[in-house]
Amino acid sequence: MATQGSINHALSMTILAECSTSKARASVVRLPHALVDTPVFMPVGTQGTLKGLVPDQLRELDCRIMLGNTYHLGHRPGPDLLEKAGRQLFSYCFSFQDSGGFQMVSLLELAEITEEGVKFRSPHDGSEMLLTPEKSIEIQNSIGADIIMQLDDVVHSSVSGPRLEEAMYRTIRWLDRCIKAHQRPKDQCLFPIVQGGLDAELRTKCAHELIKRDVGGYAIGGLSGGEEKAEFWRMVKISTDLLPKEKPRYLMGVGFAVDLVVCVALGCDMFDCVFPTRTARFGCALVKTGQLNLKSKTFAKDFRPIDSECHCSTCQTYTRAYLHTLANTEPAACNIITVHNVAYQLELMRSMHQSILQDKFPNFVQQFFLTLFPQKGYPNWAVEALASVNIHLL
Amino acid sequence: MKFSVEKALSSGGRLGLITQASKCGNITLETPMCTLFTKGGSAPHLHMDMLKRVALVPDVAAMSLGSLADHHESVAEFGKGLGEFAAMKNKLVFTTLHDASLALATGKNDNSGVAVWGKGGKIKLDTALFMKVQEAFQPDWFQAMSDGDTDRECGQKRLHKSVDRTLDFLDEIVEKMQNSQILSKSSLIGVIEGGFSEVERVRSAKETALRPVQGFLIEGFEKGNSGKDLFSHDTFSNILTTTIKCLPEDKPRMMETVWSPLQVIKAFRLGIDVFSSAYPHTLAEQGLALVADYSLPPSSQAARLELGCTNPCTEDQTLYTDLNIKFFLCFTMPNFARGCILCFTMPNFPKGHNFHQYFDFFHHLRKAVLEDKLDELEQSLEQQNGNK
Repeated sequence: MATQGSINHALSMTILAECSTSKARASVVRLPHALVDTPVFMPVGTQGTLKGLVPDQLRELDCRIMLGNTYHLGHRPGPDLLEKAGRQLFSYCFSFQDSGGFQMVSLLELAEITEEGVKFRSPHDGSEMLLTPEKSIEIQNSIGADIIMQLDDVVHSSVSGPRLEEAMYRTIRWLDRCIKAHQRPKDQCLFPIVQGGLDAELRTKCAHELIKRDVGGYAIGGLSGGEEKAEFWRMVKISTDLLPKEKPRYLMGVGFAVDLVVCVALGCDMFDCVFPTRTARFGCALVKTGQLNLKSKTFAKDFRPIDSECHCSTCQTYTRAYLHTLANTEPAACNIITVHNVAYQLELMRSMHQSILQDKFPNFVQQFFLTLFPQKGYPNWAVEALASVNIHLL
Repeated sequence: MKFSVEKALSSGGRLGLITQASKCGNITLETPMCTLFTKGGSAPHLHMDMLKRVALVPDVAAMSLGSLADHHESVAEFGKGLGEFAAMKNKLVFTTLHDASLALATGKNDNSGVAVWGKGGKIKLDTALFMKVQEAFQPDWFQAMSDGDTDRECGQKRLHKSVDRTLDFLDEIVEKMQNSQILSKSSLIGVIEGGFSEVERVRSAKETALRPVQGFLIEGFEKGNSGKDLFSHDTFSNILTTTIKCLPEDKPRMMETVWSPLQVIKAFRLGIDVFSSAYPHTLAEQGLALVADYSLPPSSQAARLELGCTNPCTEDQTLYTDLNIKFFLCFTMPNFARGCILCFTMPNFPKGHNFHQYFDFFHHLRKAVLEDKLDELEQSLEQQNGNK
């Protein structure tokens, strides 16, 4: 019962199975450099590489897609070198995705936004750089990622009123400029971004506009910025309700296990987040029951691996007790825990993919939540969100 | 541990074999060699999984007590020694006092013991605690406790005291070792002190050589890693030579100094057998890559040994070495990348790459001596370094 998606783009999606209860689906996304099973989590590598990991390690984890940042790459090494070296720089990675506008929020004090584009001051050398939609696409064309992102006008999720409306409409205008500037549509798939903050009406308008354009997939942006979870999931659901079924939906900046499971149920296919790699740098390992803060004395004499069921090289090699000594002192710990955390995320996504194929996804969700919250102290928002797609926790 | 000389140079340097190197007695090592530099028992920034991919990794891992001593109770409970605890089961463990890449926090040693430093702060070791830690760690080799907090500026009185203390510590350790079943197979490495005083160096060397030690670690020329070139002191080479003459030939001599390949050659000529690999680590920390061709004759064009991150593209358009941005296009310079499987690894790349280069250098150093080509190797490196 496979449903074939668009064939006019560098990306095509085949839906392998749909959950008969929720909106979850299992697909395979074909990209120029990789076949990616979805739902998929994409680790973030700020300057084109995952902090603490080397390409071989990514390959062994069967990580086929990761995300890099146009903003950072645009500065260093800069477009000239990228032009020369091109995708070779990232040849170790099976696929690669790129975003443009988000750094505007994280580096907002450095940025000034006009209709023309975003003026940044480089945190590296203080020089000014105007990132226009055209420039963003030009850089992303030279990087050569399989999926590239439109430049969007991102506002913080707490912003509402005229500025939010302005940002949403500007995002659509910038999308048209991006589509026009895109030189390599056969090699790279351009994703527009649904904006509109926490305003259901704006988000609906935005989604309606985007689906008029001929694109290969859609991103849902402007969320996961610290807003109330009750609002977050509703905005996700509004977006997935409107976006066409046959194209991938990429929910930007989401990576906590609970959020991933809920949003897969709501119909999202792709996710990225710095969380698993960032938390590793603080000595935190992800497990099915939550997190282990390896810096804690609790682990000083715990000679088990992080997760005895995990097949990653970290769990095959190191004990919690040794990682406890390392996490408190040495940078090697970051690398070692990162390997496990990425393995954990990828395994979580694989399990969801499998359970959807077997049409056992609701059962997976129930077990997942029960393992994480054995006392059943489920977060309310998650209970509500899952109930909205007919999944009821045990 | 047993040491035999295979080939001796007139300058004092020698090719040697360390047999029965491990506690189990089954490992043979060739010298000159370097140990694997570690922090907290791991190669800095490198997952064990990645370290396995680096070629020619030394069989001995040097693990300094500073960051580890605090955890000796956990390791004791683990029961299988520090090597296995740190996932370095296949390596020989050489416990040293201090992190070779760092400067010492000075002024903390006294007659009762010495201070080592971890992230948690100072740990004061007396010989009782020192032995307790070693028994937990079960090293193959271990550096005796020593007061190496001296340098060129230290007066005769301070140096005298440092030698005395270090000998006193050694005597206490030797006595305690007789009652230690666990450490009966471990090799005790005596420590030579004396700063830049020839008199004290000779006394330290002769006295230490009288004790039941299996090798010698020479320190106390600088307070930890000073970042200065010891060979730039005109008396250093002479004092080192005089010191080494007081040591028996059938035991290995070690130095933990942060040395470039060229400096290693100089120290090797004077008779040092075992070196640290802290040098490639400290380079990588500064964003520098070790780039040289150690084969004879060099099969690639001349290049500087170290390429910095400033204006990387001005001299040679094929080299991009701004490691701050973590881009290193080794594939554009295949001659340098021979056998280097870590050249594209970005954040960890400098560590893996520099380690590989340094280990490769020791391989070529030994080969050059065997083939009587040490002068050629030194000249080749000097040329590549732009010293000529």
